[in-house]
Amino acid sequence: MADFNLKEKASANKIVRGGIMSRRTKGDMIFDTINTIFMVIFTIIILYPLLNMVAVSFNDGLDALKGGIYLWPRIFTTKNYSTVLSMKNMGNAVRTSVMRTVIGTLSATFVTALLAYILSRKDFLFKKSLSLLYVVTMYVNGGLIPVFLVYKSLGLTNNFLVYVLPGMVPAFSMLVLRTYMNGLPDSLAESAMIDGAGHFTIFFRIILPLCMPVIATVALFTAVGQWNSWFDVMIYNRMSDNLTTLQYELMKLLSSVTNQKSNSEVMKNATGTVTPTSVRAAATVVTSLPIIILYPFLQRYFVAGLTIGGVKE
Amino acid sequence: MFKRDPDFGKKLKNQKALIFMSIPFVIYVIIFNYVPLVGWLMAFQNYKPKNGLFHSEFIGLEKFKFLFRNVDFIHDVRNTLAMGVINLVLSTVAAIVFAILLNELRGVIGKKFVQTISYLPHFLSMVILTGIVFDVLSMENGMVNRFLMTIGFIDKPVQWLAEPKYFWWIVAFANLWKETGWNSIIYLAAITSINTDLYEAASIDGAGRLKRIWHITLPGLKPTILILLIMNVGNVLNVGFELQYLLGNDLVKSVSETIDIYVLNWGISRGDYSLGTAAGIFKSVVSIILIIIANKTAKAMGEESLY
Amino acid sequence: MKKIKSIAALSLAVMMICGMASCGNTESNEGGNDKPATSTGDETKSGDVKEFTAFFAVPGNELDAGNRVQEAIAEKIGAKCDMKWLTGQTAEEAIGVMIAGGEYPDFVDASSGMQNMVDAGGFIAIDELWDNYPNVKNFYTEAQWNSIRNEDGHVYIIPQFGNIWEKDTACIHNDEAFWIQTRVLKDQGYPKIETLDEYFDVIEKYIEAHPTMEDGTPNIGYEILCDDWRYFCLENAPFFLDGYPNDGCIIVDKDTHKAIDYNTTPTAKRYFQKLNEEYKKGIIDPECLTMNYDTYISKLSTGRVCGMVDQHWDFNDAELAIKAAGNLDDCTYIPVGVTIDKGIEEHWHSGSALDVSNGVGITTSCKDPEGAMQFLNDLLDPEILTLRNWGQEGIDYNVGEDGLFTRTDEMRANSNDQAYINANLCPYAYFPNYVGMDHDGINACNANYQATEFYDSLSPEVKECFDAYGVKTYVELCNTTTENSPWYPMWSWSNALTTDSPEGKVWTEMADIKHTYLPQVVKADDFDSAWDEYMKAYEDKIDIDTFLNAANTEIQRRIDVAEGK
Repeated sequence: MADFNLKEKASANKIVRGGIMSRRTKGDMIFDTINTIFMVIFTIIILYPLLNMVAVSFNDGLDALKGGIYLWPRIFTTKNYSTVLSMKNMGNAVRTSVMRTVIGTLSATFVTALLAYILSRKDFLFKKSLSLLYVVTMYVNGGLIPVFLVYKSLGLTNNFLVYVLPGMVPAFSMLVLRTYMNGLPDSLAESAMIDGAGHFTIFFRIILPLCMPVIATVALFTAVGQWNSWFDVMIYNRMSDNLTTLQYELMKLLSSVTNQKSNSEVMKNATGTVTPTSVRAAATVVTSLPIIILYPFLQRYFVAGLTIGGVKE
Repeated sequence: MFKRDPDFGKKLKNQKALIFMSIPFVIYVIIFNYVPLVGWLMAFQNYKPKNGLFHSEFIGLEKFKFLFRNVDFIHDVRNTLAMGVINLVLSTVAAIVFAILLNELRGVIGKKFVQTISYLPHFLSMVILTGIVFDVLSMENGMVNRFLMTIGFIDKPVQWLAEPKYFWWIVAFANLWKETGWNSIIYLAAITSINTDLYEAASIDGAGRLKRIWHITLPGLKPTILILLIMNVGNVLNVGFELQYLLGNDLVKSVSETIDIYVLNWGISRGDYSLGTAAGIFKSVVSIILIIIANKTAKAMGEESLY
Repeated sequence: MKKIKSIAALSLAVMMICGMASCGNTESNEGGNDKPATSTGDETKSGDVKEFTAFFAVPGNELDAGNRVQEAIAEKIGAKCDMKWLTGQTAEEAIGVMIAGGEYPDFVDASSGMQNMVDAGGFIAIDELWDNYPNVKNFYTEAQWNSIRNEDGHVYIIPQFGNIWEKDTACIHNDEAFWIQTRVLKDQGYPKIETLDEYFDVIEKYIEAHPTMEDGTPNIGYEILCDDWRYFCLENAPFFLDGYPNDGCIIVDKDTHKAIDYNTTPTAKRYFQKLNEEYKKGIIDPECLTMNYDTYISKLSTGRVCGMVDQHWDFNDAELAIKAAGNLDDCTYIPVGVTIDKGIEEHWHSGSALDVSNGVGITTSCKDPEGAMQFLNDLLDPEILTLRNWGQEGIDYNVGEDGLFTRTDEMRANSNDQAYINANLCPYAYFPNYVGMDHDGINACNANYQATEFYDSLSPEVKECFDAYGVKTYVELCNTTTENSPWYPMWSWSNALTTDSPEGKVWTEMADIKHTYLPQVVKADDFDSAWDEYMKAYEDKIDIDTFLNAANTEIQRRIDVAEGK
């Protein structure tokens, strides 16, 4: 029932949007022009250093040290990429990274949404105290060693679960979700309640579907966090090669390149060289790619659904 | 803790399901977030790794006394606060403005393109970001110096990173460049929840774009803005250390060092875990006081609050 | 709605696939859930090869699985070691976490966390086991072992480096010096440079004659690196200028064996005054005080910097870049041992010295300490040493009729290719090793120390410069006549200081003050008042006597140990 109403409303909106579009005033035109110019400048400012980094990532490492590379490599090489891609434990690393990102994100998003749901029930008795319990976690931290000892006693060292469990309920995501849920009309849940639906039914059938834009947002945040993290690998699973991740292997690679004591005097004969700078550039490109590819799939929730532009899906 | 509620018993009964659902969340947060706080004991001990947490010598508040008498620490608190406030204000405003402008941008392809580009810098490491900042501010060929000289604003290159007075702003703008697009994602998502009927009504009333932004989009974003603002007020001291550490040098040391750098110097490099922990506790306490104030203020104004 | 469902279905599918993949993974993992970190000697894989684990709290290269030389060594001695290195963390942190957890790999080099590790009882006493392992026991002399012993009388670690076999064969001055480009020297007709004034004089003349490089890039006369801990490039020259070796924290008077503070000597003032003058003249890069290490390396890499003070290993990357450029062969650096006045014997180069503050130890988590000792012992076997240091004959090096090892261009190139090294070479770098000569008495310990190999690989420009000064190696450019004193190097003492001790506190304060004031002194318009201000702050805050007294005690202790007291 609720579904039906929403759909109707949505289609009504589309008609309205069309109406707005056709009535562009002079003020709108000025606004749009200025806005477009601003966005072009903004894009250039953001894009230039990024393209520069891509150029460096395709340039010979030692040559790049001299600087002066702009949008195009001076001495082209794919050596930086082959260095990155030929790193150790690649298979394990990719598998674990993908697993922790997928499992970690799905479970955290789901569980966090559930907590947000509980805390968004208006007259829930422990709303305040439970919220506070979570809010505080954003600002307190027992420190590296105590945390390590706790996780160790839970058997989380040399264990895949250490990637999933500790970050299962980020307070930040919970608050963002809860705020969004608070903004939904109470009548939806109430009428379902009267129809005899339980909390799980309401959560799954009504609240979750309505929250997709913000679910996508926190999922993205969690996924990026999971994908990028390496510290927990180092602390808890350092000696387990099968639990290593892409980012950790990259960290190791970078620090070994930095450390490389190429102390020989016969560098001239070497076949191209890598430096921390060039490898870091290549590594950044390689690790950002999956997110860049994934992004358009999530983007529809932030952009395509945007109201006023009259965009049709 | 709870206000007396005549229906308390009845409510308790009605909410059995909700209460049952929240039990795992309570257990979870206690184990993963509160048990490790035992580590705070370190701040009251002369902690030595060989003795461990439970057998180190107890020294009371000595470490805290040391902190508050240490001029460097006081400076670092000031720097952290200053950078935190500048960052908070600039990044919040920038992210909101950017989200709104992006929302208003015509054409879905351009919109998607700009948005995709905008969040990319988020993935750069601080080391790469620092490299970019050095290039841009360089005396020899830096974009900023060249630009200012071309328009005749300055007649010889300025050594931006040698002047304490510029440092906080350099850090703020570097952060802005890196995170604006990323931070705006959350606002973009929130904009989707705004009821489109409102826009229709407004445009029928003849409201222009700016008016609609002011009277509909912004109020619609208010709960999200407030929640993030309150949270970030608590984070004012968490300005990190990487950027400041990498951009800083001995000439601007007096303004570049943050509490985190202090902790790093003392807690890690100099092996004084206790002092590092004490500084950490100080930070947590200040953060919590700040959010309590922010939260109270929001509540008093009848707005969305954290708890 | 439809879309949401399809996304949900998709993610479920992905999850299931990953779930399946993980099944296999978790199973294999379960058995060893708390073990992998402490694996050991008695588990046998691939034949009867024992597999040890090691953690070195320094950055390093992990070897590929199935590394060629590692396998070859394993075949001969029946053991190998999986080595992990420090990443993104300080040594103290990494070791701190291990101590807290009480679990270690079989071997650990705790680096700056060494004392904590020993105090926490993480190492087993090597001297109780070594009787059956002569290579280990005889690795050092009795006197040397005595200086390594912990306060309780036991030996817990074996310092790996600087143990010379027969004679020092170093070709490169891998230490600190005033460096200068060969093009500058050539331009001035290879002058003899003995003092600080002469050094800057040569650079000034060169800059005057050649303000830019051929491609128009402005030359930089002199560069000062003062980024974080690397500020030694700015601050420690005064003791060298007075003719003392790199004790790092102090000058030790050769006759009285007393410590002297080098920060406040007249030489220190003259040195900084000189820097200040040159800074004002524009010979020194105006940006030097704000640049970080990366910027420094990139400036050097362009070949435009005429000179600087630095440790060779610190700017090695830049020099490699210069060499790789192809057209900048006259821009590489040679060391000049300058002093403040003529007639002082310079002491920039010090021979290898035993650093007792670091070493590798066997941990209490090791299940097979005897096996671990055997492993260490075998690694010091002459045949294995050659495998570690040179690689395999015919693949990594050739043997001439006279028994001299040589390498083809391809072999040299391979030895510089990190990917090749990871897959093929296995120096077991953080296990005990010798430098100097190979045990065959003919070759140097490794290719970088082999004089013939070394000279062949030099560029014509460097050879020309060497000829002008009548030398064949970089080391010969320095004074190598002085033996190391028994207390050398005192930096192994100051490096280990913590803020727990009064002298440790003073040591940190000294660093703070120098960081704050030295850049101001260098760029000051009025040098004298800036210097006075610095000295005043220094005297007010630094309790130098506490520091010097502690240093004196340590010097005396080292002398006593060396004399066997």
